[in-house]
Order: sequence, then structure tokens, then C-alpha cells
Amino acid sequence: MNKAKAKVAKAKTKKVLNVAITYCILIVVAFIFFFPCLWLILASFSKSGSIYSFDGFFPSEYGFDAFKSLFTDTVMYNYPKWFLNTLFIAVMSCLFGTLLTILTAYCMSRFRFKSRKAMMKATLLLGMFPSFMGTIAVYLIMTQFNLINQQWGLILIYSAQAPMGYMVQKGFFDTIPYSIDEAARIDGASNFTVFVKFILPLSKPMLVYTALTSFTWPWSDFILPKMLLIDKDLYTVAVGLMSLGETEFARFAAGSIFIAIPIIVLYFCLVKYMINGMAAGAVKE
Amino acid sequence: MKFKAKCKSFFVKLKNKFVNFIKQLPFKFKSKFAGAKEIITQGNGKVMSSFAVMGLGQLLYKQWAKGALFLLLQAGFILYFVLSGAADLFGLFTLGQVQGDAWYGIEGDNSVVMMLMGILAVIMIIFYAVIYTANIKDVYRTQCCADTLKPAAGFKKEVSSLLDKNFHKTALTLPVIGVCVFSILPIVFMILIAFTNYGGANIPPALVDWVGFENFGRIFSLGEFAPTFFKIFGWNLLWALLSTAINYFGGLGLALLLNKKCVKGKAIWRAFPILAYAIPGFITLLGFKFMFSYGGPINYYIQAAGGEAVGFLSVNSKWMARFIGLGVNAWISIPSTMLLATGILSNINTDLYEAARVDGASSWKQFIKITLPYVLFATTPVLITQFINNFNHFGIFYFLRDASIRSEGYFLANNTDLLINWLYRMSIDNNYYSIGAAISLVIFIITSLISLTVYVLSPSYKQEETFR
Repeated sequence: MNKAKAKVAKAKTKKVLNVAITYCILIVVAFIFFFPCLWLILASFSKSGSIYSFDGFFPSEYGFDAFKSLFTDTVMYNYPKWFLNTLFIAVMSCLFGTLLTILTAYCMSRFRFKSRKAMMKATLLLGMFPSFMGTIAVYLIMTQFNLINQQWGLILIYSAQAPMGYMVQKGFFDTIPYSIDEAARIDGASNFTVFVKFILPLSKPMLVYTALTSFTWPWSDFILPKMLLIDKDLYTVAVGLMSLGETEFARFAAGSIFIAIPIIVLYFCLVKYMINGMAAGAVKE
Repeated sequence: MKFKAKCKSFFVKLKNKFVNFIKQLPFKFKSKFAGAKEIITQGNGKVMSSFAVMGLGQLLYKQWAKGALFLLLQAGFILYFVLSGAADLFGLFTLGQVQGDAWYGIEGDNSVVMMLMGILAVIMIIFYAVIYTANIKDVYRTQCCADTLKPAAGFKKEVSSLLDKNFHKTALTLPVIGVCVFSILPIVFMILIAFTNYGGANIPPALVDWVGFENFGRIFSLGEFAPTFFKIFGWNLLWALLSTAINYFGGLGLALLLNKKCVKGKAIWRAFPILAYAIPGFITLLGFKFMFSYGGPINYYIQAAGGEAVGFLSVNSKWMARFIGLGVNAWISIPSTMLLATGILSNINTDLYEAARVDGASSWKQFIKITLPYVLFATTPVLITQFINNFNHFGIFYFLRDASIRSEGYFLANNTDLLINWLYRMSIDNNYYSIGAAISLVIFIITSLISLTVYVLSPSYKQEETFR
């Protein structure tokens, strides 16, 4: 009787220990991931702005100066303009890029045409090239087309390169049963109607995932804008923030927070879709 | 031992596959050209007229709209070819012959642009060939319909089929053109550049010429590039292996931890890594650079404790900077692996665990025997992509370390640079375009070989149905 009780007690302490350790690790992990973010937020409220006037991680004086100067002192660093530029480029590339990627993935999943296998292999192979290996060539192409120093040039590149990453979306479409297509086609629907009326509504998670990835890429890319945009007024936020020095640390932090917030909000709203989308794409890839 | 046998069988199979491929080549060609032969022998005069002039056959069959369209396309192509295409194609081989001279006012050839336009001309010719064969097939189909007294499909019907039976043709046109111009064209261009002497002092207006494999020789044999190449390559491989392993097992561990039954408020705990994931990469990297800089907070505490400021990322630190790079990369990448693993873990059949528990397997055993194989199986493709991405991780050391840092014993590079960073410094900052292109070709060959081998040896390739 006593022995059994001791055994139960032992199991109980083991369980409690297990839970305690789990929570300890979780707290450490949360701290590691949260602290740099917190540091940036605090830094943005620093009064003097230079990184040299900090007491370690914490600013010596707090104030809203960084935010004020971010939006009012636009002679040297025109942040509001950069922000609008980035927003414009990202939204446009997101629209076109998503459309092209989804169309490509749908065709690759549903149609069996002659060059399909060859195209799939080719994209797999091309994906292994270092991505900006061709940037010099892209730069030369853009000069030929007279699209240097123009936002539409960037949008064109982002949208045109987006379909290369159709694999995840194809994997998702593969999981939608064919019987849906067949039933609709018996009712006389054309493939276009099937796609618009039946497949698209079913693939909302994938649409969201695609839109999100094709939005965040131009939103935080720096290589292409740095190469193709010359005027300071046309800069995107990534290029602009990179041109800030250590003495402008508070302004950098404030600017970062403004560019990070939209993405963070989007991610938290759509995290469920993200998990489903990633898993679906991974298993079938 | 098992691994060795696997490797061996892989190469034996590869050889057999290759031999079979060569043997079947003639048959494949025959079957490819069977259709062409049929059209040539069976086609009537109208079909033949389409051979000569695109669209003429269709016009003779009174298919006005389609015929006119083909005719227009042909006229457009001929116009392009005469006006610039032929010269561009020729330029691809010569890369320009007239040296520019500002003094005498001679406008010389720009070899690089000529090469680019030459490749574009080749792509245009391929497009034209596709349309040309489509034209002939189309008129032959019409002939077959006419011979059997079946009514041929009208123009309206064929247009509407572009939204139905041929929807893929409509939908894929734009993506294919886009990928051709902005992905394939640049890559072909870079591959060709690797075989020229473009770069250094030899940039337009000077003429560029083909040099064969000279650039590769300069990378591998002794010279200014070879020692740097092998040093960087060794570190790059180590970096890719370590960072992929850390990120993968870190993410998987985190997902498993959050998956535990005893954890309450999963959404809140998960929010912290997602926060890290959502912040654009360049912000994180610049933030960490500030954190480890001389005036940064970490050095502040070291100095407050009486120590001397450490240049974590400065010229003299080698392994310190490398470890910081690994850590920062983990901070950035673990959350995405965690999300992926969470999604995959939710798909595991829970009956398996039930059965294991009944049999008295410990939770460690369950992890080794059920969870890990399943997750590995499901994520092998992702693992390969992650490996390649890490191998070519440009941003991390580009942002963390100052661009001006050069290490002793390295040519135009420092001791944390990956091949891709070196490539960037060589080609974008220092004009060594041809060497840069050759390096990127080497990177491509290495990464594709590694990933192909891993993929073929992996369970996801061999037993596709195991977990279905």
C-alpha cells in the first residue's frame, strides 16, 4: 500500500519537474526572441539618438524626438516618401506576383501538356542558381528597356520572377480532389470557370500565404532597389535605413518599427493559414 | 557501411540510367519526328503553302482571322529579325569588332549589351519556332477535318477554347515570358560571361572576347584567386552544414516543446518567435550589428565590469564573428522551421503514439521511432532548400560586418565571407565580372550536386508511399 503511494508520489514529482523545466525553457526562449525587439522599441524612444549615449541596452533619456524627426526632418532622410514608395512597390508586386504564381501552379497541377515535365525540371534546376547571380544581367536589361531609376522596373522584376516559386502552391492544388473539377465540368463549366468559381474559393489559405510571401519580399529586399534606384526620393525604406549611421540609431529604430508593424500584424492575423500552407507544400513538394 | 553501399548502388543505378538514356535516344527522336514525317508526306498543297508562309494555308482554307494572325506574327518576326535580330545573333559570336574611340568620335560596339541582345535573339527564335510548328500542325488538322468532311472548329470556338481546354496556354504565357526574360536570360548571360574576359580593366568601351575555360583555371590553379577560393569554400561548407543543423533541430525542438500537453497558452508562447520571424531581415541584422558594435550595449556592460571593449565583428575576430553569425542566423531562421514543423506534427497519425504507449515505449523512444522519421521524411525537400539557402546566405555577413574589412591571406574578402559575398565583392564592387560569374557557376555545380545526391538518397524519394 505504502509502496504504491510512494510510486504515485514519485511519478507526480517527476511530472511537476517536467512541467517546470518546460516552462523554464519556454521563458528563456521567449526572452531570447523578445529582447532584441524590446531593445529596438526602447531605442526608438531615446532622446539623443546616438548609440553612444545609451546606458547599455537602455537609453539614458526618453522622448518622442526620433519619431518627430522621422516624419518632419525630411531634407536628408525623407522617410515618409520612402515608406510610400515601398508600399506602392510591394502592393503592386504582390498583386501581379500572386496572380502569376497561382496561375502557374494551377496549370502545373491540373493540366497534362507536353512540355510540363521539362518545365518543372527546368524550374527546379534554375532555382539552384545563386539568386542574385543574374543581377548584373538584370541591371543591363533594365538599362536597355530604360527602366532604371523607376519603380515600375522593380515591380516588373519582382512579378516576373515570382512564378519560379510555384512549387508550394502546386503541392496545395494537388491536394484538392479532382472530383470537384469533374463534377463542375459535367455541368458544362469551362476550365476557366472551374478555376475562378471552385478552385480559388477553396484555396484561400494558399492565396493568403502566396500574397504574404510575395508582399514581404519586395517589402524587405535591399539588393535590387539599391542597384536600380538612384534618386534618394525613390529609395525604398530598406535602402534608406541602410544609409543611416550609428549616430542616427534612434531614428533607425523608429523607422524599423514602422516598417515592421504592418508585417507583424499581417503575420499574426494569418499565422494559421501560414502553418497550413507550409505543411501542405512541404509534404507534397 | 550501409551508407557506403547506398552510395555505391546510387552510382551504379546512375550509370545504368545513363546507358539506357543513350540507347533510347534514337527511338525518342524517331517518335518525335514521326508526326513531322506524316505531315510532310501526307500534307496537301495548302499545308505546304503554310510551310512557306505562315498562315497562308489557313487563308486558303478560308480561315481568315487565324490566317491573318499567323501572317501578322510572321511579318512581325521578319521585321524584328531584319531590323535587329540577325545583327544581334551575329554579335553573340563576335562580341563586337569596332573598338570605340571617343577621340576620333567612333561609337564602338558594346560587347556586353551585344551578348545580352544576342541571347534575347536566340530566345525570340525559339519562340518563333514554337509558333511556326503550331501553325503547321494547325493547318494539317484542318486538312484532316476537310478530308473526312468534318467541319473544322471556327475561330470563335478556338478562341473560347483558350479559356477551357487550352486554358493552360493562356495562363502560362505571361509567366513563361516573364521567367524567360528575368530569370533564364540573366542566368544564361552569367554562364556565358564566365567564358569571357569581361571585367577588370576590360569593360566596355573596350572589347570583350571569348576565352574558354581560362577563368576556371585561374580560380583552381595557383594564382591570386585559388587560395582565397579554397579557404572560403571550406568555411562556406561548414557554415551551411552547421547553420542548417542548428536551425532545423532548433525549430523542431521548439515545435515539440510547444506541442507538449502541459503547455498552456500556446498561442502566446508561439507569438515571440513569430515576432522575430515577421521583422524584415535587414532590420534584425543591422540591429544585431549595432548590438555587437564597439559602442554597443554589450561592450558597455563589459566596460562597466572593468573589461576592455571587444571588437566582436571587427577585423581581428574570426571565430567570434562566425559564431555570432550562426547565432543570428538561428534567431532569424528557427521560427520559420518551427512553424513548418508545427504544421507537419499536426498531421501525424496519433494512433501510432497510442500503439507505442500500449507497448510501453518511452517518450524518447517514441520521438526516435515515430516523430523523427516522419518529420525527416516530410521535410527532406525543405531541408535541401534550406541547405542551399544557407550555403548562399548573402545577407548575414554583408550586414553584420563592415564592407571595408579585408582579412590577411584573402583576396578582396574577409574570413567570414561566404562564396556569395566574395562573388558580390568581386563582381559588383570590383568589376571582376568574369571571375565572379565563374565562381557562381562553381557554386551552382556544388549545390546542385549535393542536393541531388541527398534527395536521391533520402527516404522521401525512395519510398514515396510510406506515410500515406
